[in-house]
Amino acid sequence: MNAPGRASAVYWTLAALVISSSPHLAAMPPWLVAVFLTLVAWRWLAARQSWAPPPTALRVFISLALIVLVLVASGGHWSRRAATTLLCMMMAAKLMEMFRPRDLRLVAALCFFMMTAQFLFNERLVYLFYLAAGAWTATMALLSIQRLDSMALPRPGLGRREQLAAQGRQAASMILLALPVAALLFVLFPRLAQPLWGLPQQSMDGRTGLTDELTAGSIANLFLDDRPAFRVEFPDGQPPPPETRYWRGPVLTELDGSTWKRSRLADTSSPLPEAQGGNEFLHRVQLEPHERRWLFALDHPRAGPDDSRLTTTRELLARNPITALTQYDARSINAPFGPRDLPSSARAYYLSLPDERNPRTRRFASDLRQQFPDDDAGLIAHVLEWFREEPFRYSLATAPLGRHNADEFLFDLRDGYCEYYASAFAILMRAADIPSRVVLGYMGGDWQEAAQYLLVRQSDAHAWTEVWLDGSGWVRVDPTAAVSPERIDYGAWGAIGEPRHVLDREWLRDLRNRLDRAQHTWNRWILGFDAERQQRMLERLGLPQGTHTTLAILMVIALGLVTVVLAVLLWRRDRQRPRSAAEKAWRQLLGRLRRRGMIKHPAETPGEFARRVLPQLRAQGRDFVELAEWYSQVHYGPRQIGRERQFIEAAGNFRPG
Amino acid sequence: MFSLADRVRRSGLFTLGHWADRWIKRRGPSRPPLSLSYRQIFILPTAFGWVFGLITLAMLMGSLNFNNNLGLLTAFVVAGLAVNSMLMAFNNLHGLHLRHCWAAPVFAGEPARLRVNLANDDSRPRPGLTLSGQIEQTHFALDYGQIDEVEVTIPTARRGWMHPERLRVQTIHPLGLFRAWSWFWPEQPVLVWPRPAQPAPPLPVTGGGAMGTKALSEPQGEDFHSLRAWREGDPLHLVAWKQSQRHQALLSREFRQEQSDILEISLSSAPGKDIEQRISVATAWVLMASREQRSWVLDLGTESLGPGRGEQHRNDCLRALAELPS
Repeated sequence: MNAPGRASAVYWTLAALVISSSPHLAAMPPWLVAVFLTLVAWRWLAARQSWAPPPTALRVFISLALIVLVLVASGGHWSRRAATTLLCMMMAAKLMEMFRPRDLRLVAALCFFMMTAQFLFNERLVYLFYLAAGAWTATMALLSIQRLDSMALPRPGLGRREQLAAQGRQAASMILLALPVAALLFVLFPRLAQPLWGLPQQSMDGRTGLTDELTAGSIANLFLDDRPAFRVEFPDGQPPPPETRYWRGPVLTELDGSTWKRSRLADTSSPLPEAQGGNEFLHRVQLEPHERRWLFALDHPRAGPDDSRLTTTRELLARNPITALTQYDARSINAPFGPRDLPSSARAYYLSLPDERNPRTRRFASDLRQQFPDDDAGLIAHVLEWFREEPFRYSLATAPLGRHNADEFLFDLRDGYCEYYASAFAILMRAADIPSRVVLGYMGGDWQEAAQYLLVRQSDAHAWTEVWLDGSGWVRVDPTAAVSPERIDYGAWGAIGEPRHVLDREWLRDLRNRLDRAQHTWNRWILGFDAERQQRMLERLGLPQGTHTTLAILMVIALGLVTVVLAVLLWRRDRQRPRSAAEKAWRQLLGRLRRRGMIKHPAETPGEFARRVLPQLRAQGRDFVELAEWYSQVHYGPRQIGRERQFIEAAGNFRPG
Repeated sequence: MFSLADRVRRSGLFTLGHWADRWIKRRGPSRPPLSLSYRQIFILPTAFGWVFGLITLAMLMGSLNFNNNLGLLTAFVVAGLAVNSMLMAFNNLHGLHLRHCWAAPVFAGEPARLRVNLANDDSRPRPGLTLSGQIEQTHFALDYGQIDEVEVTIPTARRGWMHPERLRVQTIHPLGLFRAWSWFWPEQPVLVWPRPAQPAPPLPVTGGGAMGTKALSEPQGEDFHSLRAWREGDPLHLVAWKQSQRHQALLSREFRQEQSDILEISLSSAPGKDIEQRISVATAWVLMASREQRSWVLDLGTESLGPGRGEQHRNDCLRALAELPS
């Protein structure tokens, strides 16, 4: 067990640990990361300088201290991130006693586990590189550790660098050869339709998505966020025209002070009226995790997936919070639902406003009411016209609003974005005795012609209103559209007219779209592969009654076949090409002899073989014995270029008669 | 008093071990020369392999539960690595050629050095091999086409022909997840000479009395014995002139007195409480006689070896002593 070999095994193990824990580190407080890296650096130095392991008491003390640090960092709040942080720190503590091959091996093996843990937070395509890098480094570490335990081949001709390169190739080829088995298991391993235990409550790692409240500024944060919110495919054909791409999310019905909130009553389901006329759009949505229950669907959703339901406010709700990429089919109709009477209690509910707020808006509303006594539609049209003619501006750089938020916005500020407009408009409508509510969701989306899907980003977040018109039912009114048609046509950033940040460039957006198409393919084929798709695949294979047992049997058979193929592949791969020119010449010579019926038994040494065939070769026999001895010297002895060259020439000239 | 081997033999362990040995031997050739075939290669996860399996299982269950496909993919890649590791461990042994396995005779109590001659006939290297005996193991590696000899020592206790326990050639290459191994036995039992008595009593004085020791210093017998190079002080009548002329060197004739200069080592006359002690003493005498370059006769009662001298005679005597029934 030589010191350089030991150090190199430690280096590779540390590299594997750092790579596999890097995303976890990114989510940790910086001071904890510093502690982690300090322990890694210490272990690196210890390997370099051949330091002895620290005393047990110190190790135990530091380990306990690390647990306390993790508890402090998590603030006593136990979450999945706290768990992975603890895992990282315990691995760091393990470094202090990582001095035997078995400890090194354990750390290297746990690196694979760390990577899996990260995928519970994020499964994006880029993490494939993380997986590849981590798996390769961990395999390198395991190979280096294996060299400590047993003899590696002495390769006097190879330098350290070449040996390392050979080991790197070995690790890479081992992983590549693991892929057939992995692919097969991936497709055939029976999936669970229902989880065995509880789903995680946290998957967004501190990032925000759309909330179910509307206060000034809640959407503005999202305008700078180019992460995809969801992607939509339209199996029946083309996407709907841009101006109708309203993706309905939570519906806010209660105004609490200046905050719009979702009604708890909305969760109670009641029969919903069917649409009258309009086109039905079937669409398939791949929703990124957002930790809430709503599923986005084109306005107005008519039916969602089996395990979802529509609320009275026509929100599509999943049974559990969405914590992993989820794919579902939804059907929507682009016409208003109704008409249906609004019960007086509901009417009162949708008209309620907090007292003693927004006096100017109330006055304005009663003026409007007098102007249009029985014409709700006329009143709305008038207000939208008023938005257009008065100096209202669409802007993200706006001021916060105070107690009389609608007053301040409609009469003083007049500078804001969708949520300002939606909120003020809904308040104005209620004041004018028209039932109204605010709808949150997304508006628009980037159609990816090349991959035929619509990409909706967080920056497409939008708020609009719905008003009740007797005879028509709930009708969508988007006051933002009145002020800034560009918002509707070109998205939020198109409406602002200037880059949102330094990286907001056309070519970059194009690049991002390209990357997203790759991501979409990944989501669709890899991440979207679930129990249902597996079932469908089996049906296509002609196994309609594909239960878990059928799958398991199929898997075992296929695994056996793949293993046989792999065994052959490995067998062939290990058979090396001749390593030296001398060996090549010798093998060619053996080939010429074989054609004369003189076959060298594998167990024979060159000398033994030569003496055996001596009588058969007659006059040439002596020469061949000499050649064979010469070859043994050249091949096994110390390297002499000159003699090697002479041997190659002599062997090439030897023609058995 | 029973030796450990006896005790083991009397217990149930022996029958179990014996059954296992027979089972292994039934599976194919068990003594060199042999080429390891799939029937002779066994493979099981190492301790680390089991831990690795547990970790993979945890990855699998977690990913399955959360329907996390990338996590599943990782678990399956790891499973694929394990499958490859298993195949490579097997390949590393498969076709390995064990050419010989033997040990030079040793005295009882000294460790016997079993030497195994191995050849890698295949055109692929075989790194990370281990040869294990009962108490010791040796790490080695074979490049392709390479022939090597590996030693492992085994303990010896009793004189006689020892049948060593099975040896194991094994590998946990490449990741340490699986151990592939094969058992084999040396071609021949190992000869264990009796332990020489220590300290040894002085050599016995033979029938010719003090003449025996004189014989060497004064080589004047009646029987012509041999020719040797002329040394200063040799009388002229001893020079073999004819032969000297032929060989271009001065040669002297040497005569020996048969009767008196041959040492007689008799087992029955060796001191000792029991037969084993007497054998020990006789062994020590044989060694001393050989070291002093004398000729001797070994009388075992039932048979008698010699007279003779030199290494061959010594080995014959030691072997005869080793083979004596106790």
